[in-house]
Amino acid sequence: MAHETQTADLDDPDRIWPTGLTIRESEEIHKHIIDGSRVFFFIALIAHILAYLYTPWSF
Amino acid sequence: MGRYRERLLSVWASLGPRYMPFADVVTPDLPLHKLARLSLFQVSVGMTMVLLVGTLNRVMIVELEVPAAIVGVMIALPLLIAPFRTVIGYKSDTHRCELGWRRVPFIWKGTLLQFGGFAIMPFALLVLAGKGQADAVPAWVGQSSAALAFLLVGAGAHVVQTTGLALATDLTPSKSHPKVVGFMYVMLLVGMFASALIFGAVLADFTPGRLVQVIQGAALASLVLNSVAIWKQEARRPPRGAPRPEADPSFRESWDRFCQGEHAIRRLVIVGLGTMAFGMADVLLEPYGGQILNWSVADTTKLTALLAIGGLLGFVFASHVLKPGSDPYRLTQNGALIGLPAFALVIAAAPLDLSAPFLVGNFLIGFGAAVFGHATLTATMSQAPKEQAGLALGAWGAVQATAAGVALALSGAIRDIVGIFMAGTESVFGLAGPALGYISVYALEIALLLITVAATIPLVGRITKHHRTNDSGVAEDVTAARPSQS
Repeated sequence: MAHETQTADLDDPDRIWPTGLTIRESEEIHKHIIDGSRVFFFIALIAHILAYLYTPWSF
Repeated sequence: MGRYRERLLSVWASLGPRYMPFADVVTPDLPLHKLARLSLFQVSVGMTMVLLVGTLNRVMIVELEVPAAIVGVMIALPLLIAPFRTVIGYKSDTHRCELGWRRVPFIWKGTLLQFGGFAIMPFALLVLAGKGQADAVPAWVGQSSAALAFLLVGAGAHVVQTTGLALATDLTPSKSHPKVVGFMYVMLLVGMFASALIFGAVLADFTPGRLVQVIQGAALASLVLNSVAIWKQEARRPPRGAPRPEADPSFRESWDRFCQGEHAIRRLVIVGLGTMAFGMADVLLEPYGGQILNWSVADTTKLTALLAIGGLLGFVFASHVLKPGSDPYRLTQNGALIGLPAFALVIAAAPLDLSAPFLVGNFLIGFGAAVFGHATLTATMSQAPKEQAGLALGAWGAVQATAAGVALALSGAIRDIVGIFMAGTESVFGLAGPALGYISVYALEIALLLITVAATIPLVGRITKHHRTNDSGVAEDVTAARPSQS
């Protein structure tokens, strides 16, 4: 097996388990999730508007 | 009791990182299975290329009856993003975040752009074509939404490919780069080949509903492929505790530093000229076979397969020949040299009215282009300064994609213009007007290849000892190294 090297100090007391992330790291992941959700929302909105223009649905 | 508690805690603690997308360990070289997984992003890029340039090109013109001029503009839009690949590479080189990632955030954002573009694309195309009840909608709605879809997909594919290749460079030592490049190219071909077959089969009975299914299926496929490709590939290198880094250089400073590298601009010019030389033939070989040599559609379609087989063998050959310490510029030169007889054979096929030289020429064009592309990408990866891999690969991609696009546009224009001017002439060297249009393009390609070969002469044999021995790879990048406990 190839020699492996640890890149993050997993014994760091600032890490919170079970994720093993620090608060700032988890905030960053959270930001990616929120940004991604916003992108998905706008994409879905545009797709629905175009689908409505193609075949309007009635309520 | 305490022992059980400790064991339970360690099991609990080990569960979290397993489901996190980053790696906590690095290896000096990437194992084959991880490299194969990483190369899946190339499959998604290949699929995107086939869908945009091949499948949708035809669907828009034939099935949706969109004017060819609008289709041409839509397909050309992603090319507008190509020059920005250098900036994308620079941004990923200098990206700082808490997790210590450089490439993954870009690949993820690129994937979202690709997914988003594909998600709205089928509806945008149907509105653009005025199908359903969209005929009452102003034309600009369809045009602008289709343009947005094409721009999003194109931008996404450029971001994913640029930062994906930079990540592959980061994760592998210099000695493995020929293998990595070969793998990446072959996976691009696999993605293009497989998706062309699948799209062709599922769109055989065209309906608007099927178009929506196919394009949104491609959206999902690109999301899944790219996510699997980057999962646990890039190790996190958290900045906490590390000395505060110097301020990042601006793009201008970074570019200037890159240009100070040995023959940096010459290397980019070689990539551009060679790509143009090989790329101009791409769209002309099939019509040349049909129009000048009177081949049937089935026969000319086989030419594409022959070109692809030549390409595949070229990548395998280049991966085999480029051993650690060997000179990628000698191979670059040889790739361009292979193109010279190839285009000469294609030209000779018309006055001789022979199929054999045309077939051999086609195979050699595929082979030479693959060897040339492989060698230039390997050289770029191997000679990229450690902190500028993204910028170097971005510049390579920007020049390569722009040159390919310009070649595509120029080749058709030159053929048509020469054909029109020569239409009245009886024959030149026994050739009629239309044949001269094609042959003038092939002759220009030979001239470009000769310039490319001449431009490589100062580079051949100049790979420095530093580059040959700079094989320490990722181990150099580790900031908080300690032996693995696993």
